[in-house]
Amino acid sequence: MNAIDDWTLVGESILRREDAYLLRGQGKFVDDLPVPQNTVHLGFVCSPFAHANITGIDISRAVALPGVIDVLTGNDFVGDILPFKPDIKIEGYREISRPVVATDTVRFVGEYVAVVLAETPYIAQDAIELVDVEYDPLPAVARIEDALDREAPVIFESLGDNVIFKSHFETEGFADHFASVEHVLEGEFHLGRVTGVPIEPRGCLGVIDPVADSYTLWTTTQVPHVVRTAIADHLRLPESIIRVVTPAVGGGFGVKSHIYPDELIVVALMRRYRRAVKWIQDRREELLSDAHAREHIHRIKVAVDAEAVIQAVELKLQTNGGAYANYPFSCTLEATGAARMLPGPYRIRNYKYDVVSVVTNTAPTGAYRGTGQPSCFLAIESMMDRIGRELNIDPADVRLRNLVQPEEFPYVNAVGVRYDTGSYKESLEKALEISGYREYKNRQPKDRLIDGKYRGIGICNYTEVSGTGAPGWRVRGFAKMPGFDSSRVVIEPDGRVAVYLSQADAGQGHYTTFAQVAADRLGVAWSDVTVIEGDTSKTPFGTGTFASRGSVVGGGSIIRCCEKVSAKVKRIVGEMLEIDPSDLVLSDGRVYPLGTPDKGLTLKQVAETAYSMNDIAMPEGEEHGLEATDYYDPPMVTMANGTHVVQAAVDPGDGTVEIERYFIVHDCGRVINPMIVRGQIHGATAQGIGEALMEEIVYDEDGQLLNANLLDYVLPLVLDIPDMEIAHIETPSIDTVGGIKGTAEGGLTGAVPAVANAVCDALSGLGINISRVPLRPSFILAQIDKAAG
Amino acid sequence: MKPAPFKLCMPEEEQEILALLQSYGRDARILAGGQSLVPLMNMRIMQPQVLISLNRCTSLSYINAQGNGIAVGARTRQAEIEESEQIASRLSLLSKAMPYVGVRSSRNFGTVCGSLAHADPLAELPSVAAALDARFQLASVRGTREVSADEFYIGALTNCLEPDEMLRQVLFPALPPNSKSVFVEVSTRTHGFAVVGLAMCASIDSSAICRDVRLAAMGVSETTLRLRSAEAMLEGNTLSAELIDEVSRAATETMNPPHDIHADGNYRKRVACTLIKRALSEVVQR
Ligand SMILES: Cc1cc2nc3c(=O)[nH]c(=O)nc-3n(C[C@H](O)[C@H](O)[C@H](O)COP(=O)(O)OP(=O)(O)OC[C@H]3O[C@@H](n4cnc5c(N)ncnc54)[C@H](O)[C@@H]3O)c2cc1C
Repeated sequence: MNAIDDWTLVGESILRREDAYLLRGQGKFVDDLPVPQNTVHLGFVCSPFAHANITGIDISRAVALPGVIDVLTGNDFVGDILPFKPDIKIEGYREISRPVVATDTVRFVGEYVAVVLAETPYIAQDAIELVDVEYDPLPAVARIEDALDREAPVIFESLGDNVIFKSHFETEGFADHFASVEHVLEGEFHLGRVTGVPIEPRGCLGVIDPVADSYTLWTTTQVPHVVRTAIADHLRLPESIIRVVTPAVGGGFGVKSHIYPDELIVVALMRRYRRAVKWIQDRREELLSDAHAREHIHRIKVAVDAEAVIQAVELKLQTNGGAYANYPFSCTLEATGAARMLPGPYRIRNYKYDVVSVVTNTAPTGAYRGTGQPSCFLAIESMMDRIGRELNIDPADVRLRNLVQPEEFPYVNAVGVRYDTGSYKESLEKALEISGYREYKNRQPKDRLIDGKYRGIGICNYTEVSGTGAPGWRVRGFAKMPGFDSSRVVIEPDGRVAVYLSQADAGQGHYTTFAQVAADRLGVAWSDVTVIEGDTSKTPFGTGTFASRGSVVGGGSIIRCCEKVSAKVKRIVGEMLEIDPSDLVLSDGRVYPLGTPDKGLTLKQVAETAYSMNDIAMPEGEEHGLEATDYYDPPMVTMANGTHVVQAAVDPGDGTVEIERYFIVHDCGRVINPMIVRGQIHGATAQGIGEALMEEIVYDEDGQLLNANLLDYVLPLVLDIPDMEIAHIETPSIDTVGGIKGTAEGGLTGAVPAVANAVCDALSGLGINISRVPLRPSFILAQIDKAAG
Repeated sequence: MKPAPFKLCMPEEEQEILALLQSYGRDARILAGGQSLVPLMNMRIMQPQVLISLNRCTSLSYINAQGNGIAVGARTRQAEIEESEQIASRLSLLSKAMPYVGVRSSRNFGTVCGSLAHADPLAELPSVAAALDARFQLASVRGTREVSADEFYIGALTNCLEPDEMLRQVLFPALPPNSKSVFVEVSTRTHGFAVVGLAMCASIDSSAICRDVRLAAMGVSETTLRLRSAEAMLEGNTLSAELIDEVSRAATETMNPPHDIHADGNYRKRVACTLIKRALSEVVQR
């Protein structure tokens, strides 16, 4: 089943169906949905303090405002909504809980303190300013080093200190291996805090159905089924009366794979008030309180022999988890992700890591495109360059000597992750070739100065965890993450096809790619397949769309499901034509014996029988209907890979970095739609360039967020993104259905280290080692000045 | 993104605007292109009770030759300036700076006078106006007065307008025919607000002697900063590599630029020095 070799539509760059409406501005996002009469609009009063006790809340001025229905505080929700307490079953994790609205203490700027209910969103906003909250400020900690200070204020008394997660791992005999090697290189790498910034902030519309006594929540999520379960769990409601729907969603990037307090509050309030409830987040709220990511410090030691072969790696990783544990991932997602993925495509047999995550008075952290991988690859890929410089070996050769070699697949890495297939060596070699790396290096002057600018070239090899199944989530302690996704494929009475999928599109092009997969497998026209997803009442249960899993798990499930349906089609037709079903093929909307296309039936004719709309009876023992359901739990992970090569110029007059050329070699196994894959690479790489050069959420020492707007949280714009020269390699997985691997995050993962390494190479003549991103002009110029003395 | 309640007035005549300004005074704000004001109102950083829109008063839209210069009316959009051939040929500094002001979509609405009145320390146009020795014409029911950039700018986001006054037009004196203009800036990304910038115009004769040099920097102090000592050092002298070095150093030595999350003061100083060098080297080369 894994090795499919008769693809027809898979592999074609079919134009995106969704572009017809999205590009015309006709997409229907939460805020575009018609609201029922009498809808209640919410506004949240947010804490202006990073850490404070709430000593009093006076709502009298706010409720006196005409149009205000009510103002509720934390205590009003205590009985109704259980606090968030993600179920993380991993050694070293210490549980903390978060009320949906703060009761006694606030722990970050932006935490919800009260909820205003009003007749319009404008009145809600007016009333927010009239809620008088009295705070008794407490000392706050925002940074990792401050949180670990012995004198630091403790944020959760129950913890005793500010450490929320500690994890240790080492391979057998690590200390001996490490000690026996000649060269030990050390490095320290800091990654700034960033976040996904989807073009559409979050929002919810809750609508009540008094007849069925059921609740529909329209919400901007990547994980509708997980949201529904979380609502049922936290509100103690039967799942069957809750329906979660995602309309068009303007980007998720992992930020929308968490469940947020407002989603629970909207449902609780529509129950309480028996009215529809709507809330639309604004950009400031989004930047203040949606999941942040990164803010990691890697301290790494690499033991390497004289031939530049790595013998052992030791990592000490610290991460800033923020004030609470985001549901369902908590801060361990990135921490374990970074530590476990650091070996990447390299044959690192002796590995040891120690991870410490701290609680601070900053927004809770969680998932964002790349989770952990841009961070650990910045560390290991920068060390590859440093080894090269130290031993006077070209950094590309250092990498070649350490890569897992083609004949070693399937390969199990030091932490136990299986790499089923991969093209690590081929990918690097191809990247060196298309980028003219060797010629560039040969021409490069020692001081790197060409035409008044420092010019350098940087490489990043990466592996990309994708399509994580149940074992992959369990091994990282996520008890409430299913891992499987599911589909229901129906051949309708007219012979056309509906695909119901447990996932939720947020702009990735699911309605195109998944139609392509089903059409390919059922031999129908692509335009005859409708994809339905993002609705818990229509689709079977599943995990959702994040962590590069859509194509692997959704695609895999659809392939298996189509197999089941076509088996039924073949059984029916086999009986009708008295032919062995295995001699039949589905193609061009028909079913016929292989080699004699004019002999068979149309799918429509088969469907008529299946739905009892003609005189031909179903075969004995065969049920009516023409559909199947499939639950596909993929292996622990499937590993995609690739290489980025960047040429950059640094202007010594102002510290700006210009990316002059950008090369990508990319392998995500079986490609369904090359154009859409390219789009994923472009977008992710753009975000990686942002993370490498400019993006950073800045807190001051007291936990005030200084740039909660898009003027000061500097995102790259289109002119900051260079043309990318992309080459594909297609090494199908042997573990996943259809050989598909994920592709959404590699661009970001590859870009951060490749850009940093290019800058580092450019400045190497000055003896500068880059140890921090983002590489803003002011930071770079300070480094240049420091090196000049 | 939900502003506080406000009253919107859409007068069609200039006299009406001035009358409204007089009657509402401090409670009112002028709405020009809205590209700065509306975001501030959406974030409720500004909560004016009355908005007096210029957008229906078409008589305030013009690019006119006036005396020895070109006048730009209060309702003239930035995009119109960007496309004007008259501006390109006679006020090339303004035309060169225009693409740096925001993005095309913000320039379609944003006005030149709105940007000047807003007085953002990182706005390009105040420095352009300073380098061009522009005259700001302020009007109220009491009459009109004219001030220079030096007088108009008081601090970050503050100008000398009285509550009943509007910036009616700005008059840019024409540049001498052999004048050369340069606008340079440095930012973290390619578009939108920069970190430091410099507007310059100067006449250079065939033996590289400079005359009528005017330099104004943004991002190095609360408002645009005319670099008068640098201008004096250059005036009447031959523009050599040594002089460029000396001037750029001297002009920035005493600067004490602000610090923010994008850059510290030292960086701004260093880059101001670089930009002066770049601008001067560019005019020598041309
Ligand atoms: C995405 C984006 C990027 C931007 N990037 C830049 C940039 O890089 N550089 C830059 O300089 N600007 C930038 N801006 C701001 C833009 O240039 C604004 O257009 C300009 O600052 C204000 O002009 P406006 O006509 O929109 O004025 P408004 O926003 O309408 O008004 C701004 C202020 O000036 C007052 N005002 C306006 N006109 C008058 C008048 N005639 N008399 C008295 N007071 C008046 C208003 O009351 C208000 O207080 C950007 C804006 C956006 C949206």
